[in-house]
Amino acid sequence: MRRRPGIGGLQTAAAARDQYRLLGENVAKLRTDLMKEQLATFRSQLEEFARKHKNDIRKNPTFRSQFHEMCAKVGVDPLASNKGFWAELLGIGDFYYELGVQIVEICLATRPHNGGLINMQELCNLLRQKRKSDREAISEDDCLRAISKLKVMGSGFEVISVGKKKLVRSVPTELNKDHNQILELAQAQGFVTVDEVERRLSWTSGRAIDALDTLLEEGLAMIDDGHRDGRRRYWFPCVSSITSSVGADS
Amino acid sequence: MQKLGDFKLPAFFNYPPYFSLQPVRDTREKQVQLWKELILDYCRTQKIFVIGLEEEFPLFSNPVIERSLSNEAREAFLSALVSEGRAEWLDKGHRKCLILWHRIQDWADIILRFAKDNGLEDTVTTVEEIRTGIESRGTELHGMDRTVLMRALKLLEHKGKLAIFKGTSADDEGVKFSV
Repeated sequence: MRRRPGIGGLQTAAAARDQYRLLGENVAKLRTDLMKEQLATFRSQLEEFARKHKNDIRKNPTFRSQFHEMCAKVGVDPLASNKGFWAELLGIGDFYYELGVQIVEICLATRPHNGGLINMQELCNLLRQKRKSDREAISEDDCLRAISKLKVMGSGFEVISVGKKKLVRSVPTELNKDHNQILELAQAQGFVTVDEVERRLSWTSGRAIDALDTLLEEGLAMIDDGHRDGRRRYWFPCVSSITSSVGADS
Repeated sequence: MQKLGDFKLPAFFNYPPYFSLQPVRDTREKQVQLWKELILDYCRTQKIFVIGLEEEFPLFSNPVIERSLSNEAREAFLSALVSEGRAEWLDKGHRKCLILWHRIQDWADIILRFAKDNGLEDTVTTVEEIRTGIESRGTELHGMDRTVLMRALKLLEHKGKLAIFKGTSADDEGVKFSV
């Protein structure tokens, strides 16, 4: 049909636009309602699930970690706020805040000995010792979550991977690649020598000594001149387990 | 946990670098602190009053990890105790060290309490009696070092709490409490 000019044509066009707008609004409203409904169902289902498995979530570290995974998949962070309904429902926020505080305490207590770098395994052991009155078991996953919450405060808590092991750093020291490689090497026996570093990593002696000196300065390494072979050994309290009871007692 | 007799050794005693003086200040301070506590603890429980730097001393070496303290390290740890008033060098060469796990003042207080508990006020006893007599059995005074005891008694004499006088036998002195 040919479009006719004139006022009538304009009016028809305006009326049509209004109709479209109305229809569009209706559709959008329908969609939002549906969405709201779905969300409400989802929330109540999740709530019901959490309530039903509250004890499992609290007591069983594996279950807890799986629950967290599930939450992450659907974009829910149960730890986001202590005021959130998750926290009220599960007390799960408190659990991690408490864990966080205990981790800070352990890191501070052992810092004079290990220079602020501690083996994740050892940290977990010390945590368990500290919490032995609580029957609730904790896993490495719990530690990682608690530490990730600490990071938000900008206090310099961080988990770093060195070789196969995870280390928790509580001092703002930046470790470069050289330092990490030395720490990795030290994991075998708890110590390294300059010779060993040069040989295993094919470094010049200057580079090895430089990196070791920095680690000494940072309090992460200790020298040992007492071995029969007369070679200086550099020990790393953060990678050897002998430290377990030092610091925990003091 | 490793033990020396009935004494429980701390974990650091098995960690080799603690037997080498640490070059970095903070690390060394922590190291010295741990050794100071260990030496005082050990001497108190084993009733050891004098440590000879060049003599065998169970804490100075750990056969399990094949490490022993150098003379320099021994002197450093003991000097740290001396600077805190918890030890005194007995000679200029720093070869012998008197360990005061109680300060002289604390020993004096213990002696006064001992005198009161045993009704020794206004009576006469001897230095040897205090160290080895029946009354002191089971107290910290029993078997204590004579030098330390004399120092504590002299302090009390200075304060007018007692009088020391030469007894009839040449090797013993009398003590009269006047608390």
